[in-house]
Amino acid sequence: MNVSEIDQLISRVALGDRTAFSKLYDATSAKLFGVALRVLNNTASAEDVVQETYMKIWRYADRYASTGNSPMTWLITIARNTAIDRLRATKQAADISDLADQIAAPTPTPEQSAVAGSEAARIVACLNELPDDRHAAVRGAYLEGASYSDLAEKFDVPLNTMRTWLRRALIALRECMSR
Amino acid sequence: MSDAFTKDEEDRVLAAEYVLRLLDTDEERAFEARLAEDRALETEVAHWVYHLAPLSDDVAPVAPPAALKDQLFADLFGAQEPVSQAPTSLFARLGLWQGMAAAATAIAAALAVQLVTSPAPQTPASGPFFVSEIASADEGLRILALYDGATGGLRLTGTNGTAAEGRDFELWAIIGEDAPVSLGVLSDDGTGNIALPDALGGAVGGMVLAISDEPEGGSPTGAPTGAVLATGEVTDL
Repeated sequence: MNVSEIDQLISRVALGDRTAFSKLYDATSAKLFGVALRVLNNTASAEDVVQETYMKIWRYADRYASTGNSPMTWLITIARNTAIDRLRATKQAADISDLADQIAAPTPTPEQSAVAGSEAARIVACLNELPDDRHAAVRGAYLEGASYSDLAEKFDVPLNTMRTWLRRALIALRECMSR
Repeated sequence: MSDAFTKDEEDRVLAAEYVLRLLDTDEERAFEARLAEDRALETEVAHWVYHLAPLSDDVAPVAPPAALKDQLFADLFGAQEPVSQAPTSLFARLGLWQGMAAAATAIAAALAVQLVTSPAPQTPASGPFFVSEIASADEGLRILALYDGATGGLRLTGTNGTAAEGRDFELWAIIGEDAPVSLGVLSDDGTGNIALPDALGGAVGGMVLAISDEPEGGSPTGAPTGAVLATGEVTDL
């Protein structure tokens, strides 16, 4: 299913079209489940997050305004943020070292890009300009929902150092991406 | 922490931290308060959302268990077969979504973050939503009704049929065995926005909406005087 088909499905979902919603679920739920699993590392929690994510999509589809960007970005953003909220809610009990292990081992896959190829290439190129650890920290924050304190622990630096590092890395990233 | 950063840089970093979810809850609130009033900041958030999105390419899709979809559809739509509902064919036939899409003016990306980070303050209370297709047997007259429980507003969009010359469509609500309650006169093409009387608000689900043919200005008696042209049951969306 291509980008404009998903775009169109979301527009129809905004009108309460359940068939479109069913098709949208079939086309996108595996990706969103993957995103939730990556953040939560727990099947039951990730299933809950997928459920909650699609309820939000059903409810708020009318706020999706096609911007020419991939509609997958919108869907993934909702799933990722829902998963991070869930992670935060259960964080006290979480084992931080497990999280750190995940950050250390990103698992690239041959799956198709969810986003336009040139944009994907650009962020990857810009991330590669960063020192490895900062690159890994940005990925950890994005993919695992790692907080500054998770990252400080993972990289074994004081919290404020981690914060300063990452903030500088983000500025560098921003400058690189607007070149 | 704004060591050596200019104000613009500081905002760019803040937007990135917001999108990455590196801010704590209080900082998120404060940032969102600014975001609501600052288009440049909103654009910056959108920028980060879209530029960071390719990172999710690293995530392998994993099919969720089939039961999850059944559960989702049962929770959202009740126990019925999810894809055979009337609204499906109805909406699929309508061209009205363009108007609705035009109403969604805010930047989608910023909203996508906001609607999960702070659903209560950022999202005006909405729903429950109800829908009804008010149609004649031959579908010569067909009007779509959408009800938003948060506003109490009933929005009607005529998709087929117009009132006869010198006559008006009047909309009625029928609850159980009670006498029809007039909700007002629609425009000749069956379009209108009607505030549902508070007394009816709680009984929207299962209510029947009907259109009758009335003299110009509506029924003079307070009850339908002309033919009932079309009816439709209101269902939970």
